[in-house]
Amino acid sequence: MEKGDKVWEVFIQKKAGLAFKHVGNVHGYDKKMAIQNARDLYTRRGEGREIWVVPAEAIVSSPLEQADAFFDPSEDKVYRHPTFYEIPDEVKFI
Amino acid sequence: MMQIKITNPFAKFLVRIADSEIILGQRLAEMCSNAPTLEEDIALSNLGLDCFGRGEELMKLVSALENNAFTPDDCVFRRNEREYFCIKLVEQPNNDFAWVVVRQFLHDVYVTEIFKQLATNEHQELAALSQKVLKEIEYSKMHSFDWLVRLGRGTEESKMRTQNALNVMWKYTEELFLFDEIDKTYLSDTDAIAANWNLGVNEMFAAADLERPADKKRHILDFRKGFHSEFLGLILADMQYLPRAYPDAKW
Repeated sequence: MEKGDKVWEVFIQKKAGLAFKHVGNVHGYDKKMAIQNARDLYTRRGEGREIWVVPAEAIVSSPLEQADAFFDPSEDKVYRHPTFYEIPDEVKFI
Repeated sequence: MMQIKITNPFAKFLVRIADSEIILGQRLAEMCSNAPTLEEDIALSNLGLDCFGRGEELMKLVSALENNAFTPDDCVFRRNEREYFCIKLVEQPNNDFAWVVVRQFLHDVYVTEIFKQLATNEHQELAALSQKVLKEIEYSKMHSFDWLVRLGRGTEESKMRTQNALNVMWKYTEELFLFDEIDKTYLSDTDAIAANWNLGVNEMFAAADLERPADKKRHILDFRKGFHSEFLGLILADMQYLPRAYPDAKW
């Protein structure tokens, strides 16, 4: 990577109110270039109405080597799923 | 060989814009896989496809005005150099990235003014197309403007190359504003086009810290009469080779 170049993670919102979804990343020297590059690469087919770009270095990720400690404990706790409730017919979109 | 004659004055007017967009699209298509970065490669291809898209829509109007004596494809692939009416600016080669960006910006500012006036044209289809095109060009102009500022205020090398591209291409801006009777029939205010173009480019020169080349009267033979720079023949040879070699080929 050349000096000054950065990687930016790209998030796109499809419609107002929906969550932004991670779609990939782009290179860019600054915010302006990153957002234009994201627009040119990821919204060519009408995918979005708004874009976020975030410097990849700003993203903190959980340590992969501790994935067992992080995630295994939740595996046998099925009672955490809200599947033990009767959902009334009137409730939609769950 | 098929002869494509454009006689309707409105078609003559539209084909100038259509040809300019098609040739610029071809120039941008040449950048596909050759841009400085992958991201810019796709950006330029997008811009090129936009040019082809509006070129095609305008060609459809041209064909219709000539009673469909030829198709839009015929018009693009079966006309020779002297039967083309594009502005010379868009024929200029991709010598380096600065050339691509300078050419794009000068074009974008110009056609913004053209389409702004066509957006209120009484021909409804043309007006609707122009309104759509204005959004595409607004983005293109923002993109090329930003690059000019980056290059103009970048390194000594980038500034020098950008200024050089401007100095060479500037001579092809004179003819843009030598409007003839046909232009004046379909554009509501040709003086405003020149005035707004000057405002637009001057804003860029200030923002990018570049020098505006001197305006000299050069009397270069007019694109409106089918005169071109030395590059158009080569562009057409490349662009038209396939349909001319295999006239019945289907996509």
